[in-house]
Amino acid sequence: MIETAGGRQEPVISIRNLEMSYGSKPILQGIDLDVYQGQIIGYIGPNGAGKSTTVKIMLGLVEGHQGEVKIFGRDISDGDIEYKRRIGYVPEVAELYDSLTAQEYLVFIGELYGLPQRKADHKARRLMAKFGLEEVYFDRISSYSKGMRQKVLLISSLLHNPDILFLDEPLSGLDANSVMIVKEILAALAAEGKTIFYSSHIMDVVEKISSRILLLNGGRIVADGSFEELREQSHERSLEQIFNDLTGFHEYKDVASSFVSIVREV
Amino acid sequence: MGSVKWLQILDPLRGLFERSGVDYPMMRRILEMKLLMDGRRVPTLIQKSSKTADPDNQSNQFIKSLWIYVVISVVLVPFVVMKTNYMFQMSLVFGILMFMITTSMISDFSSVMLDVRDRNILFSKPVQRRTISMAKLLHVLIYLLLLTGSLTVVPLVVGLFRHGVLFFLLFLVEVILMDFFIVVLTAVLYWLVLRFFDGEKLKDIINYVQIGLTIVMTVGYQFISRLFNFVDLKVAFRPQWWEIFIFPAWFASPFEWLLGEGKSPLIVIFSVLSVVGPLVAWWVYSLLMPSFERNLQKLASHHGRGKSGGFRLQEGLGKLFCRGKLERLFFRFSWDMMGRERDFKLKVYPQLGFSIIFPFIFMFNTLRSEGGFAAMRTGKGFLFLYFCALMIPSIIMMLKYSGNYKGAWIYQTAPLTDTAPVYKGALKAMVVRLFAPVFLLQAVIFLIIFGARIVPDLVVILLGVLLYVVVSFMALEKGLPFSQPFQGSQSGSGFVIFGLLVLLGVFAGAHFGFTFLPYGEYLYMLLLLVLNLLAWKLAFRELPAS
Repeated sequence: MIETAGGRQEPVISIRNLEMSYGSKPILQGIDLDVYQGQIIGYIGPNGAGKSTTVKIMLGLVEGHQGEVKIFGRDISDGDIEYKRRIGYVPEVAELYDSLTAQEYLVFIGELYGLPQRKADHKARRLMAKFGLEEVYFDRISSYSKGMRQKVLLISSLLHNPDILFLDEPLSGLDANSVMIVKEILAALAAEGKTIFYSSHIMDVVEKISSRILLLNGGRIVADGSFEELREQSHERSLEQIFNDLTGFHEYKDVASSFVSIVREV
Repeated sequence: MGSVKWLQILDPLRGLFERSGVDYPMMRRILEMKLLMDGRRVPTLIQKSSKTADPDNQSNQFIKSLWIYVVISVVLVPFVVMKTNYMFQMSLVFGILMFMITTSMISDFSSVMLDVRDRNILFSKPVQRRTISMAKLLHVLIYLLLLTGSLTVVPLVVGLFRHGVLFFLLFLVEVILMDFFIVVLTAVLYWLVLRFFDGEKLKDIINYVQIGLTIVMTVGYQFISRLFNFVDLKVAFRPQWWEIFIFPAWFASPFEWLLGEGKSPLIVIFSVLSVVGPLVAWWVYSLLMPSFERNLQKLASHHGRGKSGGFRLQEGLGKLFCRGKLERLFFRFSWDMMGRERDFKLKVYPQLGFSIIFPFIFMFNTLRSEGGFAAMRTGKGFLFLYFCALMIPSIIMMLKYSGNYKGAWIYQTAPLTDTAPVYKGALKAMVVRLFAPVFLLQAVIFLIIFGARIVPDLVVILLGVLLYVVVSFMALEKGLPFSQPFQGSQSGSGFVIFGLLVLLGVFAGAHFGFTFLPYGEYLYMLLLLVLNLLAWKLAFRELPAS
């Protein structure tokens, strides 16, 4: 099912029987997954399915998981955090230190990844310019619009030229033209052999850019394959329909019509 | 670009940090960024001067506010100076210090200890946890040292000259131990709250501490001068076993042990505790730290466990005081906003605190000057109750501000033809929610002090205040409730506010005058009733749609 450029190669990410719960509430109930170089993984699922949790475990942001998570062939719980140097991360909520200027923030992040200050600055400034943000490079992020913040986050995740990218809803707030640019960027990065782990609720985008789609539901992977493969399996036409189908959600029409009937009451 | 030069003073310690497994350059960089961000934040105590603050001003507002702490520390001087009983005086000194430092820690540095962004931004980077924790710890310690330094520099110097070198050194050491203790105490407090509640509750608690701090500071000023009367006080002090639970007593007892006469076993135990306590606390802290970090995640999560159907009280009161659906609606809306918005509470609740305290401060002043309690009871001291309305103009002014002012687009998009009910509802909600509880409480206390004879006067005062509310509303610049940012506040309405304060004096003066007439109170009451009806009609006669 999985075909990669290099044929039979070592997985970049390898997850075995991953379980996680918050208190008594189970979030992940046994995830098995191998991700190879150059894949763009669309990681989708309903709210609360465990998408963000999986990503956060891989980044070491949440503790207490069971099972094995290997990145670049090393178990991440062995205490060595060097693997993070090769990872870029865009979190779901646009969390950044927004009282800093874009320059201060980006250079700081670059330095956290071990870049020299001057190099980080030079790189960040040119990347900002490519997004049309050179004029606000020295302005505080708190004055930015949602789309501008998202661009800063994207840049901050790429400054150190990572091998794996974890993007949680990376297109939120971007206008259509910027979305085009980012999609191109992602495709080009993947072609260069970078692995992109992409979660989103916007099915059209996932459908178009992912080379492999993982559907998570109730803490389990319920579908895994390219869009074409999923379409063949489920006999549905769009990813949206596949999503509805596999998450067992068929009553959207009923919900919508009863919603509208409540709206009609005045 | 963001660099903090004076952090170089840490450089000589580099080896020490690196030996404990900390990536020193990285830690300094994180610390530098944190300090840079703090420079762009405004602490609780000097919010009022923020109107002139230049948004690009890089210097740290907190450091500028340190002189306030130096001024406040003068309170401690009389206790340091007096030579009555070390245990007594130093307990008070450490009590005040602990209170000041703990509350300032909670109100101004909670954002340092509880920055949830750290998690996503820093933890996902190839930086050791130990480095991040050390940066965080140093960050807190820098502030704590500055704060403690400015609070104790004057008392320390005074102590050196009054009691000698040993006292000075002892004081210094105990203050440092106390600081350690406080850091742990604050962290444990956060830990406990986060363990049992969620982040919203913690934010509420921080909010109330901020409010409390503001009140105590302002009221504290009133008492500074009077404190000096205590200098010659003679106190016989015997240590009791239960004082083991009063932490300041720990830190005071070494003075008694080494410098004073008290050599009882309890004093020795307390003295030992003042050293062992902070160390043990620190150890417990290091044990709790992982659990603390885990609970910190709760801060970011939103568990919407709000009380359901808590509409009844506002609903009932709205029906009671408001006519018209729209007015009732905005009564409820304003009621909820006043209770929920932390920024609003932080600005307004301290003023409410003053309203509670001021009538009594003035009453006690007369108590000291004019022959005692009995004389006051039969006099006209109840007129001091007017002081509880002092804050009304500024609260009315505050009603138009909100931290979430951007939500005010609803006024534009909702089909509101007349904004009069909006203002009226908000004003009534202010009176019922904020003023009424204060007034009721004070009315009861005044009734106990002055007896039932003042009932008509209380009615007169209430009517007077209600009239005052409308007049203030008319005089002040109007803005739809909760529709403007706080930054713009306190601009140019100073004169109006001053005029309104004078007006309150006129109300009280008139009341005083009428009491000399036969049935004067009732006459005044009638007059106020008519004026009230007129004014409340007039004020809301025509207000343009926004």
